[in-house]
Amino acid sequence: MGLWETFLNWLRSLFFKQEMELTLIGLQNAGKTSLVNVIATGGYQEDMIPTVGFNMRKVSKGNVTIKLWDVGGQPRFRSMWERYCRSVSAIVYVVDAADRDNIPISKNELHDLLSRSSLSGIPVLVLGNKIDRPEALSKQALMDQMGLAHLTDREVCCYTISCKNTTNINDVMDWLIKHSKTKS
Amino acid sequence: MAQLPPVKIKDDDREDDSDLSPFFGIEKGAVLQEARVFNDPQLDARRCAQVITKLLYLLNQGETFTKMEATEVFFAVTKLFQSKDIGLRRMVYLIIKEISPSADEVIIVTSSLMKDMNSRTDLYRANAIRVLCRITDGGLLGQIERYLKQAVVDKNPVVSSAALVSGFHLLKSNPEIVKRWSNEVQEAVQSKASLVQFHALALLHQIRQNDRLAVSKLVTSLTRGTVRSPLAQCLLIRYTSQVIEETSANAQAGDRPFYDYLEGCLRHKAEMVIFEAARAITELSGVTTRELTPAITVLQLFLSSSKPVMRFAAVRTLNKVAMTHPAAVMNCNIDMESLISDQNRSIATLAITTLLKTGNESSVDRLMKQITNFMSDIADEFKIVVVEAIRSLCLKFPQKYRVLMNFLSNILREEGGFDYKMAIVESILILIREIPEAKESGLSHLCEFIEDCEFTYLSTQILHLLGNEGPKTADPSKYIRYIYNRVVLENATVRASAVSALAKFGAAVESLKPRILVLIRRCLYDNDDEVRDRATLYYNYLQQGGEQEKFLFNGLDVPLVNLEQSLQSYEASERRFDISVVSRETKHQPLEKKTPASKKAAKEATQKGYANGHLTTSPSDAYEKLLNSVPEFAGFGKLFKSSPLVELTEAETEYSVNAVKHIYPEYLVLQFNCTNTIKEQLLEDVSVVVDTSEAEDFVQVASKKLASMPYGAPGQAFVAFQKPEGVLSVGKFSNILKFRVKEVDPNTGDCEDEGYDDEYQLEELEVTAADYVLKTVVTNFRGAWDAIDAENEKVDEYVIGVRESLQEAVQAVTTILGMQPCEGTESVPSNARSHTCLLAGQFIGGAQVLVRLQFGIDAQKQVAMKLTVRSDDPAVCEQVHEIIGSA
Repeated sequence: MGLWETFLNWLRSLFFKQEMELTLIGLQNAGKTSLVNVIATGGYQEDMIPTVGFNMRKVSKGNVTIKLWDVGGQPRFRSMWERYCRSVSAIVYVVDAADRDNIPISKNELHDLLSRSSLSGIPVLVLGNKIDRPEALSKQALMDQMGLAHLTDREVCCYTISCKNTTNINDVMDWLIKHSKTKS
Repeated sequence: MAQLPPVKIKDDDREDDSDLSPFFGIEKGAVLQEARVFNDPQLDARRCAQVITKLLYLLNQGETFTKMEATEVFFAVTKLFQSKDIGLRRMVYLIIKEISPSADEVIIVTSSLMKDMNSRTDLYRANAIRVLCRITDGGLLGQIERYLKQAVVDKNPVVSSAALVSGFHLLKSNPEIVKRWSNEVQEAVQSKASLVQFHALALLHQIRQNDRLAVSKLVTSLTRGTVRSPLAQCLLIRYTSQVIEETSANAQAGDRPFYDYLEGCLRHKAEMVIFEAARAITELSGVTTRELTPAITVLQLFLSSSKPVMRFAAVRTLNKVAMTHPAAVMNCNIDMESLISDQNRSIATLAITTLLKTGNESSVDRLMKQITNFMSDIADEFKIVVVEAIRSLCLKFPQKYRVLMNFLSNILREEGGFDYKMAIVESILILIREIPEAKESGLSHLCEFIEDCEFTYLSTQILHLLGNEGPKTADPSKYIRYIYNRVVLENATVRASAVSALAKFGAAVESLKPRILVLIRRCLYDNDDEVRDRATLYYNYLQQGGEQEKFLFNGLDVPLVNLEQSLQSYEASERRFDISVVSRETKHQPLEKKTPASKKAAKEATQKGYANGHLTTSPSDAYEKLLNSVPEFAGFGKLFKSSPLVELTEAETEYSVNAVKHIYPEYLVLQFNCTNTIKEQLLEDVSVVVDTSEAEDFVQVASKKLASMPYGAPGQAFVAFQKPEGVLSVGKFSNILKFRVKEVDPNTGDCEDEGYDDEYQLEELEVTAADYVLKTVVTNFRGAWDAIDAENEKVDEYVIGVRESLQEAVQAVTTILGMQPCEGTESVPSNARSHTCLLAGQFIGGAQVLVRLQFGIDAQKQVAMKLTVRSDDPAVCEQVHEIIGSA
């Protein structure tokens, strides 16, 4: 980025600064950290180590600054998800669409979480990841199996994506930016 | 802790001037409210850091957070990882360490810390390592070990130090991982940064501390001079003196190893190294005057240093040296005298007590005058030091008792806490016991004291003493007034002991009896039960006189602990409680702690007390029950004594075996406690084969096998012998453990059917004369001594040979005889040339034995001993002499 451009960005951000806070959750090995990496740098790595705890990343897209809380998905962290979801702009729930056996567990965790009163009204974006794999569920099947139709008290949206092939990532970004709160 | 950054320390300092402190009057509730700023979407780093500081302040003030509060704060703090502010991040690290929520929650920051650990900011790396090591568990440690190893040799000294210190902490929980860092740590020892060198050396030593040879090698290589950091050098000196301690125990001849190194350190340019070396030299065991001289010289220079801390360190070390080598410290007396007026009272006190130890008789008066001047300015704990010094001075120069006793009684009248008063009273009690001429004046000082004494404990103690000693003085009647005043004025506890004291006068001094009876009669209507009971009891006995009186005033000859135990197990029934069945074996020796003499002796006494406590954890009646449950041993009679545990295997071998010797009048039962420490084995038919070729008096009559011994469950095998009655048969037994081994799969617990026979050589077990002697406590040794006919006395003299000190000789003889030292006579005052030790015991067969040992030591450290034995049974007297003669 050239100096001039940086300066312009800074000026623009002064006037149209938009900021949003997101929390990424979902079962382990769903692809949360990969998604963060794809959004932040566009790079994809095949072998990742499980996140022990959380990763905090800040990403700037245009005039939107996104704070990403990427919380680990192992069972021992699930009780702590709620703490990192309070007062965020949106919850991004990542599901491994190719791992059919674990979808019921994933569904239960999601519904459990959203029943907390502290999180009422916060929009949820459910992402079915790994659709590059042949065994992955279709978007409709995923929505049915995740029971998204039952979530009526808030805005719920679903996309199927592939971090590996960067499929649909742009749609996701658009949705997210649409939901950022304007601050100035 | 070294981990606290400067910011924190500054805050603590500021807190001293309380009005100006920014933390004055802050409250937990309010601060927890403030902590909500952590959740703000727009973080104010400065404000967050302030709030964390307040939280840390509260924690350090001892405020506790409930689990809920701690959890809330912790999760709010984790959100601060989004800020890039270095100062704030540092506070985040600190609060995570301090608030330490439960392990399953704190793990949430792991990933963030791992990121910081590899950050390019040095401060992040260092602190993240410290926090991560604090919160991590074994499993995770494996993942991050690689980074830690790298950090040990990091270019930045702060990071390297952090990793080393973390290693130090981790060594406790995960030694095997930290031990793998040896090479990196060794590299860090060569670091140019002084703190890194210090930490690396400490860690390296910690890793190798259980391997003497490795420590010795480490010291050998480093003393050749690659250590530059003064702190590391100090550590090295400490390790060196450890190595000296261990090696000189084996080889005494020739020059002391590493002494040259220590001596060389005396010329180092850093004061702390000089001091450390000087102290190490003074603490060498058996240090000679020639070795001591250079160290004393540098300490003498420190005495006139401008820094109070150097003066304090020097005078404190000299004070210790003065206990063992007063002559060596004598040279410093002039410097020390100028320190008496030192502004720092601690220095002055130490100087004066050192002078008291080294001074000669002529300087005593002058010193006492100076002490009196500043006594009111110093704290109680230093007053106690002074009192102790005066006590030992008085024992050294008994002629001066008048001055010293006066001094003690003067300070006794002044204000002071309980410990201080107790030290004074105890000193006076000891002086009364040790210096007969001091008795009368001492007693009257104590009488004065109890007239106005606010400590019940001291009053009762003094009254007890008055009761014992008062009647023996020239004019017993003068004490009556003081004692009776207590009955009129004091609380119930003191009144009760005053009544007892009065009764003792009445019993001992015939001429006073009528008057005492009048006084006691007045107490019959006291409003306290205990006082009334005592008065009634004493009143009746005094009127009847005779045998009962003796029973009342001579005290019990069984240890109270044992009596208590027997009473507790006694069930109310037709059978009366019989005091003669109470075991006379002593288990606790509270007397030891009250003995006079130096701190060193006290230390030894407590160590010994500890050893005793350890050995007698299994009470003998438990043994008796166990043995009675074995039918083979039913006809053996009454168990006389059970020895402490004797280990027959080295620690950490495959099978751990220890033995207990149970002595019966005609039998000996050896109990072998065996433990199998191999998971993969089941042992069956376990027995011990005992070879009695070196113990001819003993004939094996029974052996009881242990049917099965699974992993970790201890079991017992027994072997019983017959022996002649009335003879102290001694001998050595060599033992072999025989068993059948069956392999066991530790996972399933399945065991193979076929086993094989195997045996295991155990160490020898020895039965000595001491095994036939029970320790008994005699409260009034002189009384008991006089009660035995002087015709049954046998005296002889022995040459013991060269000993390091009298204490060692006393210990050796006491151990051989296995008897109980009485009246604290087992500890020898340092530098004493002669000593008398009183022992009491009961021989098998029930004969009471009293022994008086008189020791003398000459300049060549030759020890001679006069042994006087009295016993009801003259044969036993002979036996005692035989034991010593053959030892």
